[in-house]
Amino acid sequence: MTDVHKPTTRPIKVLVTKIGLDGHDRGSRVVAAHLRDAGMEVVYTPPWQAIDAVVKLAMEEDVDVIGLSCLATDHLLVPKLMRALRDSGLAHIKVVVGGIVPDEDEAALLDAGVSRIFHPGTSLDDITETITDLAGLSLAPNERP
Amino acid sequence: MNGTARDDTARLIQRLVDGQRAALARAITHIESGAGLAPRILGAIQSAIDKARVIGFTGPPGVGKSTLINAVIRELRKRKKSVAVAAVDPSSPISGGSILGDRVRMGEHGSDEGVFIRSISSRGHLGGLSATTAQVIDLMDAAGWDVILIETVGAGQSEVEIAQIADVSIVVCAPGLGDDVQALKAGILEIADVLVVNKADHPLAEQTRKQLTAMLALRRAERREVPVLSTVATSGHGVDRLVEVIEDQYRDTVGHTQVRGPIKRFRYLIANAAGRQLQERLTTSAAGAMHEMCARVSRGELSVDSAARVLLDDLLK
Amino acid sequence: MARKRAVLLQDDSIDAHAEWRRDYEQQLPHDKAVTNRSGIEIKPLYTPNDWNDASYVGDLGYPGQPPMTRGIYATMHRGRTWSQRQLIGLGTPLDYNQRLKRLIDAGTSAISLIPCNSVYRGYDIDEVDPLLVGTCGTTVNTIDDMDVCFRGINIGRISTAMNDPLPFTLLALLLAVAKRRGVSWDHVTGTSNQSDYISHFVANHMFFRLALPASRRLLVDHIAFCNQWVPNWNPLSVVGQHMQQAGATPAQAMAFTLCTAIQYAEDCINRDMDPETFLPRFTFFFDIAISFFEEIAKFRAGRRLWQKIVRQRFGVTNSKAWRFKFHAQTSGVDLTRQQPLNNIARVTTQAMAGIFGGLQSLHTDAYDEVLSTPTEAAAQIAISTQNILRDEAHLTDVIDPLAGSYYVETLTNQMEQKIEALIGQIDAAGGMFKAVEQGIVQNMVGESAREFAHQVETGEQVIVGVNAFQAEEDGSVRQPLERPEPHRIQNQLDQLRSFKAARDQSKVQSALDKLTAAANSDDINVFAEVVDAAIAGVTHGEIVACLRREMGAGEPLISI
Repeated sequence: MTDVHKPTTRPIKVLVTKIGLDGHDRGSRVVAAHLRDAGMEVVYTPPWQAIDAVVKLAMEEDVDVIGLSCLATDHLLVPKLMRALRDSGLAHIKVVVGGIVPDEDEAALLDAGVSRIFHPGTSLDDITETITDLAGLSLAPNERP
Repeated sequence: MNGTARDDTARLIQRLVDGQRAALARAITHIESGAGLAPRILGAIQSAIDKARVIGFTGPPGVGKSTLINAVIRELRKRKKSVAVAAVDPSSPISGGSILGDRVRMGEHGSDEGVFIRSISSRGHLGGLSATTAQVIDLMDAAGWDVILIETVGAGQSEVEIAQIADVSIVVCAPGLGDDVQALKAGILEIADVLVVNKADHPLAEQTRKQLTAMLALRRAERREVPVLSTVATSGHGVDRLVEVIEDQYRDTVGHTQVRGPIKRFRYLIANAAGRQLQERLTTSAAGAMHEMCARVSRGELSVDSAARVLLDDLLK
Repeated sequence: MARKRAVLLQDDSIDAHAEWRRDYEQQLPHDKAVTNRSGIEIKPLYTPNDWNDASYVGDLGYPGQPPMTRGIYATMHRGRTWSQRQLIGLGTPLDYNQRLKRLIDAGTSAISLIPCNSVYRGYDIDEVDPLLVGTCGTTVNTIDDMDVCFRGINIGRISTAMNDPLPFTLLALLLAVAKRRGVSWDHVTGTSNQSDYISHFVANHMFFRLALPASRRLLVDHIAFCNQWVPNWNPLSVVGQHMQQAGATPAQAMAFTLCTAIQYAEDCINRDMDPETFLPRFTFFFDIAISFFEEIAKFRAGRRLWQKIVRQRFGVTNSKAWRFKFHAQTSGVDLTRQQPLNNIARVTTQAMAGIFGGLQSLHTDAYDEVLSTPTEAAAQIAISTQNILRDEAHLTDVIDPLAGSYYVETLTNQMEQKIEALIGQIDAAGGMFKAVEQGIVQNMVGESAREFAHQVETGEQVIVGVNAFQAEEDGSVRQPLERPEPHRIQNQLDQLRSFKAARDQSKVQSALDKLTAAANSDDINVFAEVVDAAIAGVTHGEIVACLRREMGAGEPLISI
């Protein structure tokens, strides 16, 4: 566990990434651009990240929130990622999932600790607001330290 | 700060110096935000700084800096060096937000415990770095990383700041420079300890290398030689040689100037801080004198330069 | 004569037109400008002032004749409608085989094979997380797997589309099975659907495995090999669909696809291949978005431009090469999770646009694609939609039925201009390969994706059930998920292990050595060695891994 709480006067830092085998990244790129335009610092990776790579990256970048874009059936891996984050002392990082998650699988993801699932058709502002709330910070783009 | 928070901070610093990556990551967040714990953390680690070699990479956009750094990491790992990377990306002037995508091309080191990569937003700072990059490097140094690689924003000619904090500055170019030659002439060529022509498998690469060598010959007659190397970052071609040359340059620079990395960074940081403080005092304690100078300049009694001199002389008396 | 009549018409109607304009502006004082997805402003009314019969011969002509606007064959859908090519792929080769047989019974005239995502990424199933194996495509790794996929089916008598990218291991495995069964490669017909590596890099899909330069070489090897040994196979499908799904506007998707085809043609010519021979086998694959008239105009304009490119740029006289043969798929991006049955209406509208656009082959999406991997029931509705449009609605009775519409012809001309301007931009950048290498195309596509997202966000573009007409849902239309049973996947993994143990290891090693040598030489056709490796029992994952090692892996080229 990291001992000291983060400073609050800074931009929110988000990791936007994809695990598993799918490579469609139109959605994650549009979301990343929108979060940037809302004043956030967005660490963006290509698709096909391994779970241990995401954990290491989230730790090194000290992000507030991880946004995963899942298509095909890649969401099935999300519980594994949640466990890996916990095992590495990163339980404080909030995780949201966007993309195609069948209703039947939703509960399994939420039980594993996912904070929110964004289905297709979610407004970009809704995503920004949710991430802002989860990060526990107010967006203050002009109030740079 | 209450007692518990002070203990927590002490533990964070201890874990940082012990080389725990999560602690380094969290400490960087504090340094980047500038306020709160930053001075205490920096104060505590100063004695632990002095080991790392700091290599800067700069150059116009699209020349393959990230890919080259990826290849350099691979080469350094072969030589059993631990490598920390600070990759600076620009922030949006409108929202202040940023896309930090440099590590996109450093993905192959995703699970290597001997590599630490941190993306940094410039947060409005010009000059190719962020306002706190030099302190971030201090942290990485204190955390025990052998080599620290810095990637500048890559916006072009104005990125000379890197030379003031890196032990060795590498300017990366691509074949068929065109307009970029002007940019190089105007600035970053001056700071190069090593010049790299990346994408050397391109038909125009050799011609570009010759152009650059000729340009250097004109400008650097009085100074030591700047090696011009060719690399293909995607295949790794020429990267082993680059790493050797970096090592040579490091020995040369440090031997020649006796200025080791941390001293260089301190010099830069102190000068920056002094500038900031001076500006602050000019707008606060010297506000009255400033008002008077403005009036005198507007009446044509003094030039702007003379007014500034009078003001500073008064202030520093 | 035609021109004179048109002019008369204009003279007569000048006053009437002015009167209409006045009435229109009076009754609709705050009329908002309407722009289609490609950025063309759409007027409220089109008249002979915009397009008239005087342009008939130059703009339209007759079906099967230049400028090909009205269709590439004299008989078009009246003679032969279109191939109903449904994508299927789920679970194990045996699962695939069973569903395939049912689809053939239901009237599917051409089939396709969608591999598991692990296969797309270039791995065997024992190289990835077992949780993902077989959940969205079929697990084909070996010659034995391919044999099971087509058990009881004569592969010499059915057209197959293979949906894996280069190095095209699925076709190699199919050819290996044909050899095993004694079926001549002359009788193997179908298409390498995912051969367009440039579109993969642009859309950043999962379909790329090798670096751009290696991909460039392998595609030409593949085309050369097929032309010589598998003469009835279409080795190339140029894919506009990926780019449009990734956010390109319809005009951009058409332009970039034509530029890609130009690039491939030039690459083949540089390898001393004859365009008179290879160009007739080029096929195309497009997305059909719900922007109805825009899509129709896109296809008509694209057809016109392709014959122009083939004749003028490449000087090809073989009229078969002038034909812009394309498969089209209804756009999955337009489908919504909200009120999912509405997607049936969307797919129907998209399919109509494709049919009026003159397609040769059609895939209609299942309405539940946006919820999960399509269910069999939903796939059945998708096929029925095509049958209804053809047999009940009689959409195919008349060739190019919208020709002569002032609007459709004007829009076709405007789309053509827009597309040509984009082609000019790519030409100026040094061609498609260079433009993609530099990220120019990716930037433009990303920009369009963000622009469209913005329009949806602001409500400027209505999406029923998403940003307008929202309704409470009971979820009862949701079909249960179809997932492969774990023991069958385990069984498949066991089979792969025994396959690897039982094969002739020395043959495998020698095939891999030859593949390695080919990858490192400019004179040996790499795809020929891929086929030999498949015959020797080398697995899909082993072939891709070897080439990735020898020729370089493809890195995503991302821009935001």
